[in-house]
Amino acid sequence: MNLKIWHKMIIGISIPSLVVIIGGLLTLYYLNNVKTRHGFVEIADDLRERVLEIRRNEKNFLLHKTTEYYKYFKSSISILQRSASNIPEAIIDQVGKSEFLLLRNSIQNYQDLLNNLLENYLHEERQVEKVREEGRHLESFVAKKNHAVELSTDFVLNLRRFEKNYMLFRDKASFDELNKGLAQFDNIIPFCIECIRYANAINELLNVHTDQTRLEGSLQIIGNKLEEITNTISIRERENVRSFFSVTQHRLLIVLVLLCVMGPLFVYKTATHIVKPIKRLAEITKRISEGDLSLRAPLKEHDETFQLSQSFNTMLDKLQFTQQSLERSLELLHEKHVEAEKRASLGFLVSGVAHELNNPLNNISLTAETMKEDLDTMTREEQKEYIQDILTQSERAKHIIEELLDFVGTRKSTAMEKLDIINVLGESIHLVSNQLKVTNIKLKLDVPQYPFFIKGNQSKIEEIFVNIMVNAIHAMKDSGTLTICARPGSGQRNIFIDISDTGCGIEEKEIRNIFEPFYTTKPVGEGTGLGLSVAYSLVSKHNGDISVKSKVGKGTTFSIRFPAYDESSVPEISNT
Amino acid sequence: MVVDDEPIVGKRLKRLLEREGYAVETFTRGSQALEGLGRNRYDVIITDIMMGNVDGMMILEYVKSNYPDIPVIIITGYGKKEIAEEAYRKGVHSFIIKPFRIDELKAVVKEALSGADKD
Repeated sequence: MNLKIWHKMIIGISIPSLVVIIGGLLTLYYLNNVKTRHGFVEIADDLRERVLEIRRNEKNFLLHKTTEYYKYFKSSISILQRSASNIPEAIIDQVGKSEFLLLRNSIQNYQDLLNNLLENYLHEERQVEKVREEGRHLESFVAKKNHAVELSTDFVLNLRRFEKNYMLFRDKASFDELNKGLAQFDNIIPFCIECIRYANAINELLNVHTDQTRLEGSLQIIGNKLEEITNTISIRERENVRSFFSVTQHRLLIVLVLLCVMGPLFVYKTATHIVKPIKRLAEITKRISEGDLSLRAPLKEHDETFQLSQSFNTMLDKLQFTQQSLERSLELLHEKHVEAEKRASLGFLVSGVAHELNNPLNNISLTAETMKEDLDTMTREEQKEYIQDILTQSERAKHIIEELLDFVGTRKSTAMEKLDIINVLGESIHLVSNQLKVTNIKLKLDVPQYPFFIKGNQSKIEEIFVNIMVNAIHAMKDSGTLTICARPGSGQRNIFIDISDTGCGIEEKEIRNIFEPFYTTKPVGEGTGLGLSVAYSLVSKHNGDISVKSKVGKGTTFSIRFPAYDESSVPEISNT
Repeated sequence: MVVDDEPIVGKRLKRLLEREGYAVETFTRGSQALEGLGRNRYDVIITDIMMGNVDGMMILEYVKSNYPDIPVIIITGYGKKEIAEEAYRKGVHSFIIKPFRIDELKAVVKEALSGADKD
């Protein structure tokens, strides 16, 4: 992913924020929904309340059948009708259109029936009055006795009793009795108009009553239906709210759990993603700071760290280049100084050698002078002996010079060869022996009488020994003892060579610097400060090691170890 | 007396000085020379410096403390200024640096002997 850290952070922050916002909006939506649903429940409850009140008024009206109760009834119906028609269409659509339609129709029917019923009641009242009037009329007619004998006063009175009973009880028995009584009118001859009118009035009342029963039944049915509808709506809305709550609860719980689990995971992932390239860069820089300049920061991510890594790598390139040129310069400088140190040692040796040369030269000159003066008197044998002496002494002088030249480096070979270290040590001692002679320094030698082979370069090893011995001689000024001791280690795997002097010693704080280049305690001009550092590097190149022990006022001991000659290991040595 | 660890020096000086009429005895070791001093009387001592255990400087000191009249001539290849100064301080007659011409030595010996005679 080629995202910048900035982008990653934006993503890391905006995604959880977005989730929280969505969660918040969802909760808001649910709460709003709950409010709406609660409103529906209230509406449903209100409708139900109204219907229950209507039913109460209905019972009262059916019981009392008065206009007063009719008014109550009517007004409660109007209230319901208003309530129902005040409900907005949107809510009706949600709660149930068909039910509301049914509700409205039912209310309408209910009202119509009520009006019919009221009419019926009024009609009944009128009819009852009419029956009573006709009854009274019939009674007075019978009382005049100007009619058929069958129509007795008793019969009429009996009929009126039946009529009253019916009016009072309005049950089947009284109805049947009244009906039976009326049927007897047919037996009355001649035709009695009053009778017919009375019977007609009663029949009319019976019809009104039949209508009334039917109307009342219908009214109750519709009332029940109204109750049922509002009940259904109310229960269903409550059920809806309850299930909505439970669903919402589940959903919110799931979202919460997801947020709890995914939130930290997402944050962790984002953080890891952001930190990863920085961490990688930090690790690389740490390793580079530990010294490996060849390492480079990886250019994997195309974010802000890319540029950082690039700049860092450029800086490293420059640093490495500078370091390499510095190393090269230092190497050159080192080579020059090694040469200078060698010249310094050489100067020291030359003064000894020059004096040593005087001996054979003196012998030659003395022999020559003797010959010059005594040539005539000399025998032939004597002459030969003298010439031989001159030759021998010349040879001796030549040998002295050769030794010096060997050290100077006419023998430039850098090859590592099988060397007898004891022999090399002897030759090195010989190189400084002239210096020992001009001072009061005594030499104590403790070396094996048999050869010990190592792999090395003769001139380099001589340089090591000479450097250390020259240092020792300088440390002792003009008197002391130079002790050189060589002993093989256990199993003949190493040889240990100790070169000790009885000089001024080295202070403890100076000891750790003594193998450092250019470190010297000698006065300016007497040493380059490279002798021991050159010795140190040469010993290392021979896979050996060198250490120093010193006591101020007592002397110093340099201990050198060389590994024994081993065919399998051939260390390389550079020409310094 | 001639003391030098180089046998050739002793041999040549013996021959050359004997030709001049001196009696010459040579030694190659300092210790032998010191023994010789106890046996015989010498008029002049010619010695080298560097000779192992008993060197010319020790002979000079010995002679100057036991036979202060005997002049000591030092012949050495190690002609360092400090050594020469030390030798003169210890009472050397002459300090000759190798290689030297025999005439030079002859003159010095002659001068030493004449000085000794005067005393």
